Amino acid sequence: MQRFTGVLLAALVGLALAPSQSAPAYQVDPLWPKPLQTGWILGSVTGVAVDAQDRIWIVHRGADSLTARTENGLGTNPPTAEYCCKAAPSVLAFDIDGNLVASWGGPGQGYDWPKTPGGLTIDPKGNVFIAAAGWPEPPGAGRGGRGGGRGGDPAAAAAPAPPPPPPTHDAHILKFSPKGEFLQQFGKPGASEGSASKTAFNRPSDVAFDAAANELYVADGYGNRRIVVLDAATGAYKRHWGAYGAPPDDATMPAYDPAAPAAKQFRTAGCVAIARDNIVYVCDRQNNRIQSFRKDGTFVKEAVLAKDTRGNGAVWDIAFSHDPQQRFMFVADGQSHRIRIVQRDTMTEVGTIGGGGRWPGAFNAPGSVAVDSRGNLYTGETFEGKRVQKFTPRR
Amino acid sequence: MTRSRTLLIGCTFAAVVVALGLSAHALDQAAKTADMVNAPRFEVEPMWPRPLPNNWLLGQAIGIGVDSKDNLWIVHRPDILTPNEVGQDQKPPLAECCRAAPPVLAFDQAGNVIHSWGGPGQGYTWPGSNHGIFVDHKGFVWIGGNGNTDSHVLKFTQDGKFVAQYGTPGQGATRASNATDRFGRVAKIFVDPRANEAYLADGYLNRRVAVLDGDTGAVKRYWGAYGNKPDDGDQTPYDPDGPLIKQFRTPVHCADLSNDNLVYVCDRVNNRIQVFTADGKFVKETQIAKRTGGDGSIWDVAFSKDPKQTYLYVADGKNERIYVLLRDTLEVLTAFGGGGRQPGQFFAVHSIVTDLRGNIFTTETYEGRRIQKFTFRGVGQVPRDQGVVWPKK
Repeated sequence: MQRFTGVLLAALVGLALAPSQSAPAYQVDPLWPKPLQTGWILGSVTGVAVDAQDRIWIVHRGADSLTARTENGLGTNPPTAEYCCKAAPSVLAFDIDGNLVASWGGPGQGYDWPKTPGGLTIDPKGNVFIAAAGWPEPPGAGRGGRGGGRGGDPAAAAAPAPPPPPPTHDAHILKFSPKGEFLQQFGKPGASEGSASKTAFNRPSDVAFDAAANELYVADGYGNRRIVVLDAATGAYKRHWGAYGAPPDDATMPAYDPAAPAAKQFRTAGCVAIARDNIVYVCDRQNNRIQSFRKDGTFVKEAVLAKDTRGNGAVWDIAFSHDPQQRFMFVADGQSHRIRIVQRDTMTEVGTIGGGGRWPGAFNAPGSVAVDSRGNLYTGETFEGKRVQKFTPRR
Repeated sequence: MTRSRTLLIGCTFAAVVVALGLSAHALDQAAKTADMVNAPRFEVEPMWPRPLPNNWLLGQAIGIGVDSKDNLWIVHRPDILTPNEVGQDQKPPLAECCRAAPPVLAFDQAGNVIHSWGGPGQGYTWPGSNHGIFVDHKGFVWIGGNGNTDSHVLKFTQDGKFVAQYGTPGQGATRASNATDRFGRVAKIFVDPRANEAYLADGYLNRRVAVLDGDTGAVKRYWGAYGNKPDDGDQTPYDPDGPLIKQFRTPVHCADLSNDNLVYVCDRVNNRIQVFTADGKFVKETQIAKRTGGDGSIWDVAFSKDPKQTYLYVADGKNERIYVLLRDTLEVLTAFGGGGRQPGQFFAVHSIVTDLRGNIFTTETYEGRRIQKFTFRGVGQVPRDQGVVWPKK
């Protein structure tokens, strides 16, 4: 009976609406995940991924994204609160019912924990790859995005100034076991060799794993303007490409102008995702476009979404629908605070989910999206959203 | 759509009644073994209110009140929203969302916005930083302000027509806790319907409760901590192991009158509630979470809806919880909430009110920026620390 009540409640709460008959419809599950242990809160969430067992993994910025005076009362020394709050461990995994099943992350021996994480992906063995995407970056700078700045938190202005940024930025990828044991690091912080480098990243924003070829795709990223493909076992460089499959160019670009001709370079390679039919999709975030490629980097096509979007751009992350054909893509738009549903074959937008706000089903900077094997949709909010939300298919 | 929704609500209600019957039995069993206590029970309504119209966003939600028709009134700070959030308000627009909502919003019980207004206008000074809202027995809407120069309160009709301004605006730079021509960054207003007097928590600058004539705004009386004359001299920082100081610290964050004419004052950074008679005689005090630093633990209070107002609800925006106190003894019976962005969790729960049915509504400031509803489920056995009060799945 109690369970029945819950089902009815969920039925009442539908928020997600699709204007097109052909677009899948969703409703938010307002009570997922279950509450974390007392006192734990999330920082800005930069990555969400689902593993082969339908566990939902997230990575968030932790204390780095919490305001000491108002949020981190248990995490400061001395503490300023008795009951709440402090940052939960950076990497958390939930089962489909919202129970916490893993929690780890943070600095350790033999590797450089990201100053700010970006996206993450899980390989078929359950190992966790995390892009290290952070600092140095002035807060609120245009290239913020999922691993980026706070988005201009006014409360932070009243807080003590943060420590000066360290001299190095993130430029690496980390690999951990499902239990959080460090396995490998590809790249070193502080590297900056440009978009033609075969040895260095520059603030990679996202990673995708291709099991068939045992290759790791890196969206590289905030600093560089390319997709890099690595041998997933060794981290060895295999190939790279820029927008339209051309060699990337690091020359200064003018600010995005919706009236100008399409840029020939990625403005921010913010995500990379590989479909079952071997098409590679890239979020060119501040160009408001998705570009698709073959695995060898041959350009296939592109689509512009919400062309007039400025600021952080409209295309932050991509996940595919769970049907065998992956007919739809879910595109996180952290600037207009919604998930756009895009039909994959035509690359046309057929619906949206969400809108701005702090209630269930609304968003503040949704920068990450993932789908499980049953078609449930998960979102991660960065900046001041600081949440992971679940949306279930509406039947 | 409407019909099926009504049907669903009916079914849900029936299911909830049955579920509560079952869980009451389970709770009785648990009470025998756990540290349980008899107290009002609440359950968050995750989908209340309805999504705001017009792509509106709330800024810091900094006050809440209820009117005689059981509508909920809030005041928030739209000017705090960043271009990233209110992309549609930028020129040219940054994005397809969102817009800042007007600073004063009223919601009906179903969660629809039924009034929206506020901002600068003819004949009055809109606060530099609005703070606190109250709907009085005549239906007027009072608003305070804690901006750097705010030293006045405002009164409007429910349609947003200006009625009166009390105090002299623009004097908020200088502390003057014994002045009668101005206030010092007022945090909250509570109007006593029987005596037609307005109690001001005064405030972020002054260290007093000030009581005004409800029609003229004339200051009738005022007092500081323990009923002392307010003293604007230097204070040492709060020390949980030191003696309690004889003055309020700023902000004096609430001053609410009970049906039996006791005034409950939030001395926020001292982590204490002080209780007075209506004429300012000190009655008693209590501290909660006394080791709390920073913003302190006592942010706002509300009374339970039974005629005796048996319980006092205290919002703690630093520890992110609501305490339920026995009003008579000021004993903390239980607490609920927790930090976070999910339903029933809080980030800086700032204001609290009970509606005519005994439900609790809260607003969150800083980056919480929500109004939340907690449905009253009767008095029963609850744990001392409840965590989030979610509906049973």
